[in-house]
Amino acid sequence: MVATEYYVALSAILFAIGAVGVLTRRSAILVFLSIELMLNAANLALVAYARQWSSSGQAVAMSGQSAVFIILALAAAEVAVGLGILVAIFRQRTSTDIDALSEVRY
Amino acid sequence: MFGFIILAVVLLAGGIGVITFRQPVHAALSLVATLLTLAVTYITLEAHFLAAIQTIVYAGAIMVLFLFVIMLLNVGGESSAERLPGLRPAAYLAGLLAAAGIAVTAFLDPRQLPSAEMIQAALGGGGAERVGESLFGDFLLAFHLVGVLLLVGIVGAVSLVQRKSHELAGDAGAALDEPERELTRA
Repeated sequence: MVATEYYVALSAILFAIGAVGVLTRRSAILVFLSIELMLNAANLALVAYARQWSSSGQAVAMSGQSAVFIILALAAAEVAVGLGILVAIFRQRTSTDIDALSEVRY
Repeated sequence: MFGFIILAVVLLAGGIGVITFRQPVHAALSLVATLLTLAVTYITLEAHFLAAIQTIVYAGAIMVLFLFVIMLLNVGGESSAERLPGLRPAAYLAGLLAAAGIAVTAFLDPRQLPSAEMIQAALGGGGAERVGESLFGDFLLAFHLVGVLLLVGIVGAVSLVQRKSHELAGDAGAALDEPERELTRA
């Protein structure tokens, strides 16, 4: 079996790819896609650690996988609200360029 | 190890596709490929139920919602004009440093993996029964809160995209520009 370190390293690289996407993308939808990538990278690390902690018993090991389940539900709610916000913004300005949305700062 | 390398290569290629494809639809489909590969990776980590949920909820429902919105809004490719010249290399450098930092830390502290029998005893293949026992035991409060969160999310999403009654009554169509009409028809 592949050791946990490899999965954690893979998860870290995926998370970094997502973070770079958030920093460099211009369209809000593409920023959103990158955030999904980061969420999934964190999920991969949790599942990998769930297997690593098997020696501590069922309750401890399964808590990693349950956390992933809850994060999945959270991601579904987040996407529903986020895309609703995007549609509302698009109605007003016919663009989802995040550089043009700078007045949200104030 | 060979299988893991294949999975890792597909995952990283999909991830890089998400942040480099110019067309949003291509980036979204690249993310679908990444999420499906991640489901396979969950199976190699003894999490079969999560693999199924990942395929159905993430690659199925959430990504369909994404593709639907991308096509509804008819979002085009991004313009390549840079507003902050140094941002792109700085972002790549920061990402590289962060990934290398976590990966090196993980490899500096290697742990022995528990035996196969121990993993089987604790995770039981990560089936629905084990996940359910944990969800309705230790995670009961979190489970309830997620239910509330989903309800709030539904109400929020509906109220965000709802049209005001006076907008519907008046002849709003003439005043709207082209993408706006597109939305109304959809």
